Amino acid sequence: MKTLADCFYDTAFEHAERIAVCCDDERITYGQLADLVSQYSNFLLENGIVYGDRIGIPMNNSILSVALIFAAANIGVALVPINPTLPFEAMVSAFEAADVKHLIAREHFLSQHDVNNHLNIQGVVISMDAPYKDSYLLQEAHEMSKDRPSNEKISGEEVLIITMTSGSTGKPKPIALTQNNKYRRALAHIRLYGITSQDKVLAATPLYHSLAERLVIIPLLLGGTSVLLPRFTSALWVECVKTNQVTFSIAVSAQLNQIYNYLLQHDDKHIEIQSLRSLVSSSALLDSTIKNKLIPMLNCDFHEMYGTSETSTATSIHFKESMHKKKSVGKPLSGVSLIILDEHENECEPYTIGEIACSTELLCHSYYNMPQTFEESFFKNYFKTGDVGYLDDEGYLYFAGRKKEVIITGGINVYPQDIEECVNRVDAVSESAAFSSPSMRLGEVVGLAIVLKEGRELSEKEVRSHCAKNLADFQQPHEIVFLNDLPKNSMGKLVRSELATRK
Amino acid sequence: MMKVSDYILKALQKEYSINSSTNLDEFNYVENGYVDSLGMIQFIVELEDEFNISFSDEEISSSEFQIVGSLIKMVERKINQ
Repeated sequence: MKTLADCFYDTAFEHAERIAVCCDDERITYGQLADLVSQYSNFLLENGIVYGDRIGIPMNNSILSVALIFAAANIGVALVPINPTLPFEAMVSAFEAADVKHLIAREHFLSQHDVNNHLNIQGVVISMDAPYKDSYLLQEAHEMSKDRPSNEKISGEEVLIITMTSGSTGKPKPIALTQNNKYRRALAHIRLYGITSQDKVLAATPLYHSLAERLVIIPLLLGGTSVLLPRFTSALWVECVKTNQVTFSIAVSAQLNQIYNYLLQHDDKHIEIQSLRSLVSSSALLDSTIKNKLIPMLNCDFHEMYGTSETSTATSIHFKESMHKKKSVGKPLSGVSLIILDEHENECEPYTIGEIACSTELLCHSYYNMPQTFEESFFKNYFKTGDVGYLDDEGYLYFAGRKKEVIITGGINVYPQDIEECVNRVDAVSESAAFSSPSMRLGEVVGLAIVLKEGRELSEKEVRSHCAKNLADFQQPHEIVFLNDLPKNSMGKLVRSELATRK
Repeated sequence: MMKVSDYILKALQKEYSINSSTNLDEFNYVENGYVDSLGMIQFIVELEDEFNISFSDEEISSSEFQIVGSLIKMVERKINQ
């Protein structure tokens, strides 16, 4: 079987003159990208990075990042991409969980953090853009040979990406994906949405999440064009789709909400989007009123899907089907089987709510260094997703929520416990609870309720300041309320859902 | 304390560099996605903490707040008050 890197090089050879990736004003052809991937591969090998190593990378959306993903595949090393804006403690925790040995980062990142002492990088440090102390400079790779280095040991079963389930202060679960995992996932989506070499595929979410990685890999296996949006605003998305004549994309539903509002506000400007052939909404179901108005605005086919980082896409639904199956997230993809489990792990009858469990050939490889936790996530060969829902008698899945409480803001999962753990460290706080508050713009935002110790004072500003220093941007509370006590049931368990109404 | 313009430019470029040919006096960092809806709260709070100032809701929602050049002036004005 060919590896992901083999397939990319084959495509690059066949379509050398065609544009492979567009990002901002930059364009790179397949021939140039293959040369860059080889040069980066040779540069990493030359500087002591060897087969099986793990490289931490605060990743942004750029052609350089795309080339590094394929270079890592080419030499059998794993990338651990992280959000560059994570608080320091969360980065340390992510890098420790993935046994990161080397680091590739922008000079800005390196100058902000004491890499050797605090991030505990034992191996090589490479600056992406400008010289920094004694780090290597990635630009020197342009002096390297353009010949593809060969290593017969590479089978495709090497871990290529280790991605964190949460960028939180809590212990992250590092999901390991091999080259073959990524390859199979790309092929499954190519089949599902009929993507071809003629498609221009837009990735408008961060490359440190698997959705954007998939959207970049898909066209590069086919000879299509990958369009990468570095920073998302609805105006930039619309402009990017129009300028690059994008034909296919998968967006998170919170982005589509914003795009809908933007198009509505600029109705008088007659913004016409003609190029889109098909668009997929992920992360949470799009409000049906918005969906029905947005589809004619974008003038394209429309799908929704359900999946998890561990299983990839499990179900899919076309908008015409969803008119008859309101609120369903669709039927399982080919090669996917779903069951619903009750609390005793018995299979539920149709229309009975329980935990969604999924058997799929797109399953991730493992949780890195956590074999027992991974093993415990299964019932037979079904991965227990931690989500709850039910199946109808025709096999359509209906998503009912998360087993664990989670706030989904702008498509990103926020675990309330991570926020509470941080806020409870403030001396004046007796207890706290983070909760979901509805938002037109982001779907949900983080709300925070605080109970103070008797006789103590604490201002909202002090809380905000503590959170800004210790939590990631997506974890920041948008609303803060001070209460005399938290709503609890007779067993003393927090009733988080009541908090939104007690503001 | 860091110079206001240096601090703001560093904070805006956590993920992406701003092109050196950009006219910062007129550059709208929100419209150009350098701070998004998720990052705005943290950006404001860190700015307030660094310079020991505070912004009113009106100031935050003003168009002046979104332009690099005028934000720098706004912060400098507050420090000198």
